[in-house]
Amino acid sequence: MAKEASMKQFEEDRKEATRIAARLLLASGTTSPRVGGVGETTIHIIDDECQIEELCQAVERMAEENKRWGFFKRDAVMLRDADAVLIVTSLRCLSDPGDFNCNLCGKLTCEYKRQADMLPNEPGIAFPGPLCIFRANNVGYAIDSMVALARNLGIDYGVYWSAGAAAMRMRIVPKSTGFALAVAISATEKSPFRDIPKKYAEINEATMNDRIIKRLWPQFRSIYS
Amino acid sequence: MAIRESDEMLQSGLDRAVDLMAVAAHNSFRFGGVDTVKLICAGKEEIVNIAEFCYSMGDMSPLAARDGRFAMELVKEPCALLIMGDKRKSDFNYDCGACGYRTCREMNKAECVEALTGNGPSCQFKNMNVNIAADAAAAMAWRLGLHCRVYSTLGMAAFALKVIDDVDFAVSVCVSVARRDPFFDRHQFWTDEYWDEIFRKEFPTYTRGFIGAVEDEG
Repeated sequence: MAKEASMKQFEEDRKEATRIAARLLLASGTTSPRVGGVGETTIHIIDDECQIEELCQAVERMAEENKRWGFFKRDAVMLRDADAVLIVTSLRCLSDPGDFNCNLCGKLTCEYKRQADMLPNEPGIAFPGPLCIFRANNVGYAIDSMVALARNLGIDYGVYWSAGAAAMRMRIVPKSTGFALAVAISATEKSPFRDIPKKYAEINEATMNDRIIKRLWPQFRSIYS
Repeated sequence: MAIRESDEMLQSGLDRAVDLMAVAAHNSFRFGGVDTVKLICAGKEEIVNIAEFCYSMGDMSPLAARDGRFAMELVKEPCALLIMGDKRKSDFNYDCGACGYRTCREMNKAECVEALTGNGPSCQFKNMNVNIAADAAAAMAWRLGLHCRVYSTLGMAAFALKVIDDVDFAVSVCVSVARRDPFFDRHQFWTDEYWDEIFRKEFPTYTRGFIGAVEDEG
């Protein structure tokens, strides 16, 4: 039976609400504190279903690269249910340390950090460091400001470093990005980012639909018709 | 009904606000799902010590000197300094590479480099957690109408002076109920002449006619 027009309208409005919320979250993240009072962070909104799917597939591919990243598959399933994903980047943590000589990276001066050997940009390494941790901390401020507003707006959210790393791999963020995290948002009656059962990568709404409804029903229909 | 003076109410409100900021910081998002961030609130005596330390760092860090000088002014009115920090080693096992080591295990085994500002190398996600907590505290202060600014410099000084112990790095959130916002546009510290002198020194090409030309100062 076709969906009622009013149900279709609800679905459209629901998605529009998250598109508006995503832009408000971008504003909140952009105006959050910055270390040293110096801006170097960008926020990118992905609210197209096809682009979100591409991001999820990149996250799933990365799950195979490192044995510690098995949870990326679970992340991809949750991200697939997001209405929008916001990627927060740090543009100067890779090659332009803050000259604070803060030692957070383990190099006593920023000059030593500039001279340090960087990890290669290869599979199994998400963020080739050492990064300027002081600069990259800006991403933390932005993430929390976005989360704080999402809570106020009543929008469900999840924070994922897997999607940030995948966005860098896909080169959909500025090329100077050294560190990126993602905030996924959703406006549905049940948050797709909470109450996640075990084996969620294998057993979730999509796979259950696929295995039970889409597999069994066509056979049932074929046999009993 | 007894009359309460505004000074008393402001101090009491500030104390309650700081408690709520601590709750917001404590309950904010955490990578790893568990809060390991240590959080304390420094009183005026500690803030003065921190300010003097920062000011003494002037030769090494103009930013620390600026914040130290400012904090000395700040304590003249009701204020508080939330300081939060964490250990540097990773317990996430993300193996993300941001610290410059291929695995968390390698980073955790690496020699600890101690400094006044903080100990390294530190896990990027541990840093994220602390800064998320700081932002949550700041966001709560903002909502409650407090003057507020996040300070890395004062956090580092608190670490150096061991005002906050058992952590490897720290950041701070300063709040105030002063009569005017003390945290931004602090022009009272600058004379026009000194500002012009510093600007000419830092941006010498701004006033030059063409590249390589030197203005006749006479």
